[in-house]
Amino acid sequence: MGTATQPGIPAGEQSRVWSRRRFLTLIGATAAVSASGILAACGGGSNETSQTTPTASGDQPGGAATPGGSGGESVQGGTLTYVTNEEPDTLNPYLTQLVVGFDILSLFMESLLEADDTGQYGPRLAEAYEAAPDGLSYTFKLRTGVKWHDGSDFTAQDVIESYNMIMNPDFGAFNQQGWEQITEAETPDDHTVVFKLDRVFAPFIANVGGTYIAPASALTKGIQSFKEEFGRQPYGTGPYTFVEWVSGDHVTANANPDYWQGAPKLEQIVCKFVPNSNTIAVQLKSGEGDLAAYVDAQQYDTFVAMEDKRVIETDSQAWYHLDLKNIDFLMEKPVRQALDFATPKQEIIDKILKGHATISVADIAPISWAYNPNIEPRPYDLEQAKKLLDDAGWKPGPDGIRQKDGKRMQLELWGIAGDQQGQQILQVIAASWKQIGVQADLKFQDIRTLWGPEGYQFTETPTACGFSWFNGNDPDNTFYWHSSQIPDSPTGSGGNLPAYFNPYDMQDQIDELTERGVSTIDQEERKQIYWQIQELLHEYVPVIFIYWNKLIFVCPKNLQGFNPNAFTPLFYNVHEWAYSA
Amino acid sequence: MLRYTVRRLLGAVPLIIGISLISFLFMQLAPGGPDAMFARSGRMSDEQLAAIRRNMGLDQPVPVQYLHWLKNLLKGDLGTSYVQNRPVTTVILERLPSTLILVGAGLSIALVLALAFGVLAAVRQYSLFDHIVSAISFFGLAMPVFWFGLMLQLLFGVRLGWLPTAGMHATGETGLLDLLKHLALPAFTLAVGTIAGWSRYVRSSLLEVIHKDYIRTARAKGVRERTIFLRHALRNALIPFVTVVGIDIPLYAVGAVVTETVFAWPGMGRLFYDSLASRDYPVQMGILVLSSVAIILGNLIADLIYALLDPRITYD
Repeated sequence: MGTATQPGIPAGEQSRVWSRRRFLTLIGATAAVSASGILAACGGGSNETSQTTPTASGDQPGGAATPGGSGGESVQGGTLTYVTNEEPDTLNPYLTQLVVGFDILSLFMESLLEADDTGQYGPRLAEAYEAAPDGLSYTFKLRTGVKWHDGSDFTAQDVIESYNMIMNPDFGAFNQQGWEQITEAETPDDHTVVFKLDRVFAPFIANVGGTYIAPASALTKGIQSFKEEFGRQPYGTGPYTFVEWVSGDHVTANANPDYWQGAPKLEQIVCKFVPNSNTIAVQLKSGEGDLAAYVDAQQYDTFVAMEDKRVIETDSQAWYHLDLKNIDFLMEKPVRQALDFATPKQEIIDKILKGHATISVADIAPISWAYNPNIEPRPYDLEQAKKLLDDAGWKPGPDGIRQKDGKRMQLELWGIAGDQQGQQILQVIAASWKQIGVQADLKFQDIRTLWGPEGYQFTETPTACGFSWFNGNDPDNTFYWHSSQIPDSPTGSGGNLPAYFNPYDMQDQIDELTERGVSTIDQEERKQIYWQIQELLHEYVPVIFIYWNKLIFVCPKNLQGFNPNAFTPLFYNVHEWAYSA
Repeated sequence: MLRYTVRRLLGAVPLIIGISLISFLFMQLAPGGPDAMFARSGRMSDEQLAAIRRNMGLDQPVPVQYLHWLKNLLKGDLGTSYVQNRPVTTVILERLPSTLILVGAGLSIALVLALAFGVLAAVRQYSLFDHIVSAISFFGLAMPVFWFGLMLQLLFGVRLGWLPTAGMHATGETGLLDLLKHLALPAFTLAVGTIAGWSRYVRSSLLEVIHKDYIRTARAKGVRERTIFLRHALRNALIPFVTVVGIDIPLYAVGAVVTETVFAWPGMGRLFYDSLASRDYPVQMGILVLSSVAIILGNLIADLIYALLDPRITYD
C-alpha cells in the first residue's frame, strides 16, 4: 500500500494535509478548471473504476450531490470498518509523521480551510478569509456556533494556542511550514484572527489553512499532556468523536450528533490495523472490513473481482523517480539525458504497474493548476541515448561498458529493501541501461539506513536511487531543488540531496525561480514560474522522472458520498457518507 | 531449592545488564538513526532537528545515554517511545496480555497434541499412525506460517464463514466467546509449527528410554506395562523435552511476529518488528530486556522442573 510513509515513499513533502490552499478562491479563480460531471462513472457495475479528473463543482461541502454510490435513498446508521495496514504513531496532529495519522484525524479534527475534491480551497472552520493586497497579512473569519467535543466553544483563542504550540521549540512540531512566517498574531475579536508576515509567502494559505486546529483546553494543559494524552485521545470539532484506541488493533469513532454541518449518517467508524496486505483482502472479502485505501496496484484485480465492492482509482501527487547524485559523469547533462532516453517508462507502467500510473516529465502533478502540459516526455530511444553518449566522448570499452579517459561508466542503483515493485522497476532499468553500455549495480537497503547519514547520498560514488516524493498541495518545490535545501552535513536537513557534492548546473536559475514562486501572489504569474521550472527540470534532468502513482481505494458498493482525491485526507467529507437503502 | 533459586536470580542481574549493554551498543552501530526520517522530511530546519534530537536525548554521548537508561531501568522506567511519545512501559504492557493469550493458547494446544502424537507414535513405532504423524510433522515444519495462515483464513473465514479472519475482537465485542473465535485460527497456526518439532522430540526421546535397561528390568519384575510406561519411561523421556519447551516458550513471548502479522493480532511481536523498522530504540530495548528476563526465567523454571521429574537431580 503506497502512501507517503511506506517504504517507497519517504514522507518528503510531508502529507497532503499540510499543503492545501492555492490562491484560487482568493483571487476569484474558482472556475479556473471547468466543471465536468463529477464521477458519473463511479456508480454501479462491478468492474467500474473512476478517475478523479480536475473538476470544479462550486458545490459547498454538504451539497446534495452524492458522488459515488449506487444511488437511491441513503439510510441512517451503520458501521463502516476501514482496514489499513498501518497504525498511527500518534494522533497528535502536530507530531504524527504518517498519512494514516492525518487520515484518522480527519474524523475528529478540522482545519481553518480545506481543499475540496477538486483541489479548490473552501472554508471549513474559517467561514472566510482575506489576504492583504501586499500579501503581508491574512485575516481569518472564524465560524460561530462551532463546539469542541468537550462542549466548549471554538474561538480565536484555539487558533492562537495552536500556533503557539506549533512554534514552541520545546514541543518539537513535525512541521512548522507557513507558521514560521508569522511575525505577529492578533485577535481583534473572539472570531477573528489576523496573522502578519514580514515577507510574501505564497504557500502560506495552503500550509496554515490546512493545519488541524487543536482545542485550547488541551493545549493549555502543557506540552507533556498535549503530547501524550491528546496524542492518544484526540478531540476536535469534527463529525466524529473519539471513542477508543486499542493499541495494535483499532480506533473507534462515533458520530457527533452536534456536528456543525449536521449529524453524520454513519453511526460508527472503526479503523482497524491489519499489517498484512493479503489479510486486508481477506477481511474485505469476508465482510469483516468495508473500506481499504492506497491498495497495491498488484491487488487491483483481486478487489475488482469482489462483488459487493467498488474500486476507485484517483491520481496522486506522488512521483516515482531516480535521483542522480550530481557527481562524476552524472554531472554531464548529455549523460543524464541519455539515461532518460534509455529508461523505459511506459513499459514499466504497463508491465509492472499494470497501467496504474501515468508517465511524469517533472515534479508537478497533472492534476495541479501549475502543471505544464506542453512538455513531451523523452521517448524510449536507445539510439538517441547511444548517440548522446558517443558525442560526449563515452565510447564502449572491451567489456561493452562505456569509458572515457580510463573511467568506466558504472554506478550504483539503489532501492528500498522489501519494496518488491521498486526492485522490479530497477531491474528493468538496469537491464535497459546495460544496452547502451552503462553498468548499474543494484543495491537494496532498509529505508532508514538509506536515508540516514550513512546512506548512499553521502558516498563519493556515482549513484541513483528509486523512490517517490509526495507533493504538498501548493506547487512550491523549493524543498527538492533550492540550494538552501542541500544538507550541510550528512546529519543536516534538506531535500536537495543529489546536489550534496556539487550544486546543479542550473542551480542559480532554479534558486531564482523557486524563490520567485513563493514570493509572487498572482496565480497566473506563479503558474508561469512553475511552467519554467518544469521546462528547466525536463531539459537538465537533475533526476529521472518516471511516473505518477495512482491511488486505489476499495469501498462497499452501497456506500454513498465516498469521493477520495489526492488533495484531502481520507475522511474529509465523511459527514456526507451513508449506505444506500 | 530456595537458595538455589535466589542464587540463580541474583546471577541473572549482571547477565541482563550485559545483554542490555550489548543491545544498546549494537543499536548505536546500526546506520541511520531514529532521526533519519526527520532530517529528510518536509523542510525541517536544522534548529528544529536539533530540538528533536535534544528531546530524544540523542545529543548526549552514547555512554551517558546508556547510563541514563540503566538508571531509569532501576526505577522501572524504560524511557519514552520516540515514535509514540508515550512511556515504553505503557506501550509494552498494553500489548503483553494479548501476546500471553495467543502464545498461551497456541503453546497449550501444541503441548497437549505434541505429547499425544509423540507418545502414540513412539508406542506404535513404524505403524501407520507413526508414519502419518511423521508426514504431518514434516509438513508442519516446512510450511510457511504466512501461507498456512492465509489458507486457514480463506477456508474458515471466507469459504465456510465460521470464524473471523483477523483481529482479537469484533467491533464493540469484548466477550470470551468472541475472543475464542478470534483466537482459534492464530492459535492453531502458531501451534502447528510447534507441534511438529515437539512431537518429534517426544517420540525420539521416548524411544530411546523404552530401550533402556531399567525398563527391561521393570518388565522382568512383572510391573504392569501401563505403570512402566507412565512412571518409568515417560517421566524420564520428558526431561530433555522440558528443556526444549523451557527455551521455546520465552522465545514466543516476543517471537510470534509472523502469526501476529497475518492475523492482525495486537501482540508484542508486531510491536517489536515495528520498533525495529522505525528505529524506536527505547521500545526495542524494553522488549529486549523483557525477553531476556523471560528466557532466564524460562530456563530457571525448566531446571526446577527437572528436580521434580528426576529425583537424582537436587539443587543445594
